[in-house]
Amino acid sequence: MSYYDIDSILTDAEKIPCTFQFDIPDLGYLDNNPGQTLKTGARVGLPLWLAEMLAIANTGNIGPDDQGKSFVAFDLPPALGNDVVQALKADPRAVPIRDQSAHFYSLATHMMDLSEEPELSTVLRKTFVTRAGEIALHARKAGGGGSGKGGASEEGSNLGVGGAGEEFLRGLDEWERKLFRKAHDGARSGKEWMEGVKKF
Amino acid sequence: MYGDLGNKLVQHAKRTQILPHLPPYQTELVRTVTREVRDLHRDVDSLLEPFQGSFDPAADPASACTLLVNHLSMRRNKRCLLAYHRTRTEKLEELVWNGSDVLDLSAQQAGGANGVPGANDGGTSSLSPQEEDHVRQYGDLLAAYKGQWTDVDLTGSLEPPRDLFIDVRVLKDAGEIQTEYGAINLTKNSQFYVRQGDVERLIAQGYLQKLG
Repeated sequence: MSYYDIDSILTDAEKIPCTFQFDIPDLGYLDNNPGQTLKTGARVGLPLWLAEMLAIANTGNIGPDDQGKSFVAFDLPPALGNDVVQALKADPRAVPIRDQSAHFYSLATHMMDLSEEPELSTVLRKTFVTRAGEIALHARKAGGGGSGKGGASEEGSNLGVGGAGEEFLRGLDEWERKLFRKAHDGARSGKEWMEGVKKF
Repeated sequence: MYGDLGNKLVQHAKRTQILPHLPPYQTELVRTVTREVRDLHRDVDSLLEPFQGSFDPAADPASACTLLVNHLSMRRNKRCLLAYHRTRTEKLEELVWNGSDVLDLSAQQAGGANGVPGANDGGTSSLSPQEEDHVRQYGDLLAAYKGQWTDVDLTGSLEPPRDLFIDVRVLKDAGEIQTEYGAINLTKNSQFYVRQGDVERLIAQGYLQKLG
């Protein structure tokens, strides 16, 4: 999570639903109404980089009723909603999480930093462990079959290995893709090395 | 919305990471993002003007929120810009270490992309002028660093050669070079059987192609 990390920046661009707790005259453009007042209770999808700070920032009000009230209240994004969690509980391997968000896990960890979600964390941990095993399996298979068509596996996009696993692999989020690539490259380099050894 | 353009820039950077070459510099996009930052800054200034430096966020939460949003948008844009440039810089430095002739390469690419290969008149480079400058100076720096050890080639290949001599084909005219076995005149499309150590640099720079 470095400042310059491209994936972290892209994660911060994910939208999460927010509810404004104040009338703000100049921010109508956030709700596609430039020039209008943004009303209390307006629901707007804000990118994480904006929502996070607005939700944390304390307005500094010392009145009795709105003490410590922040500018917005946020909900979990649909990608982490109940439907998805239920589906993940049923079978983690059957959910194409990339369709939910390309940065599913980093979005989830970010959201969990902001709010307490003990159940989500358990579900996600189980999801990752189950899927990681599956990913490793596919990576090994792709490495074994892909040695003949070396040109295709050279590029970064070596996910098109065909067969039954294709659907699953298309549903990987960025983090899982990295894992797949590493597992795949590792298996291939190992094989290459073994082949080279025999020659001498 | 503010920050959308910065996001576009970061998506470019993301693409750059997996490409083997460096795509053209997004001059227009960078300029628009910086303009957005300047506009935001002006907004903040005009918002704060009536307060004469004694702004109390608690008394006026609406303005405080607007200011915060503007400030965050600026910070976001800054991060996007920095990350974009850093991704490119890292790529460039990697190319310099690999010994490829970056400036020449980028001009070729830009020429090829436009469908007119060879028509590279300065402005078609995929690097920004600042990047070109950086590459030149980084190259000098690397050369000075390497100069400290004359018996080790820090950017040389890590693969041990299988043969001392190799077949090469000349891709671009490189003039005459001196080797232990006399001078060779490298003219385009000719083929030679030469000692690998003599031509390693030229292969890295793209003048020669290794055969077999």
